[in-house]
Amino acid sequence: MHVLIINGSPRVKQFSNTDKILAGFTQGMCENGTTFEQYEVSDRKQWDDIRRAYYANSNILIALPLYVECIPGLLMEFLETLSPRNDGARIAYILQSGFAEGIQLRCGEAYLEKLTGYLGCEYAGTLVKGDNFSIRFFEGEQRERITGPYTEMGREYAAGAGFDTDKCRAFTGFEVMPAYLRLILGIVFRTVGRTMFRKIAQSWGCTKPLDYRPYQ
Amino acid sequence: MVLIVNTTSDTSITGRIKEAAGKDAGLDVVEAAGLKISHCIGCNFCWLKTPGECSIKDDYEIILRKIVHADQLWVISDTALGFLDHKGKNIYDRILPIATMYLKFSGDQMRHVRRYDQITDIGIIYRGEPDREYLERWNSRAALNFGSRSLGVFSADEVKEAVSCMC
Repeated sequence: MHVLIINGSPRVKQFSNTDKILAGFTQGMCENGTTFEQYEVSDRKQWDDIRRAYYANSNILIALPLYVECIPGLLMEFLETLSPRNDGARIAYILQSGFAEGIQLRCGEAYLEKLTGYLGCEYAGTLVKGDNFSIRFFEGEQRERITGPYTEMGREYAAGAGFDTDKCRAFTGFEVMPAYLRLILGIVFRTVGRTMFRKIAQSWGCTKPLDYRPYQ
Repeated sequence: MVLIVNTTSDTSITGRIKEAAGKDAGLDVVEAAGLKISHCIGCNFCWLKTPGECSIKDDYEIILRKIVHADQLWVISDTALGFLDHKGKNIYDRILPIATMYLKFSGDQMRHVRRYDQITDIGIIYRGEPDREYLERWNSRAALNFGSRSLGVFSADEVKEAVSCMC
């Protein structure tokens, strides 16, 4: 099987969490001979090549971050340039977000199924997973802890059933966090979490409080 | 204040809104079709480097400065693939600076802490034939992210109905 992978993140490849997820995913996907070609929507110079590959391939995987409950504006702009296939091509999706709970991604997931119909393709399911915001801040083992589990999902996808399997559905984790965890995390968010974000901001050269109001 | 951002090239829609709402409605209309508004590039600078300010220096700043004082934001958008077209979606994606990096739980779900006290409810007026049921669901979810509520989704032929929801 050969797979066309479109990274739908508007963030440049170097800093793209979606790209790091795809690196883990494709490692598993290719173990048994599956091959792929990958393009980045963030690079407009690739758009002609992506369109050519889109019409030439029957197994398509679009990976994207959730932007305001749906697909990013830039990916939408690209998709608007495509014509419906109506030839049995299959599209599967990897939908990832910063928020951790599965429920946060369901509205976006619902659109992806509809989108596939508008593109005249067959829906091969969506791999849904949150809690990916910190990928860009980590290296080595810490990053691997987040992206590593996607390798198994790559193996699962290569088996041919897309993402419509029990394993892929379970990969999402909890739909809503249990109350005790929300209580603990709520405290962490107000204390350690804020300190951590302030430290990251300082390392980025930020000189203002993170709740600064420039337009007040 | 009611902020209306028209991303379509059809200025007759805002004309009809003004007419239906009357002079004292407190509308602030931005005709955005001719403005230079990029997509969000996901740099997170508005959260972690220049809090509250977008790193993309384009005409969206005109809108952002108004949103933080608006009781309502209405986005007028063309549609594509059953949804808002990219110009309409970009207006939503670029609202990110009104949230902070800080997190909290609202009900049983994570949310970003709002940067400003002002709560801006959001409505959509569309042209074309979107999946309206989905668009209503989506706008309700989108509003949650801004700690506000959806004002509803109306076609450009339902301007009077939309105006009846404008404060």
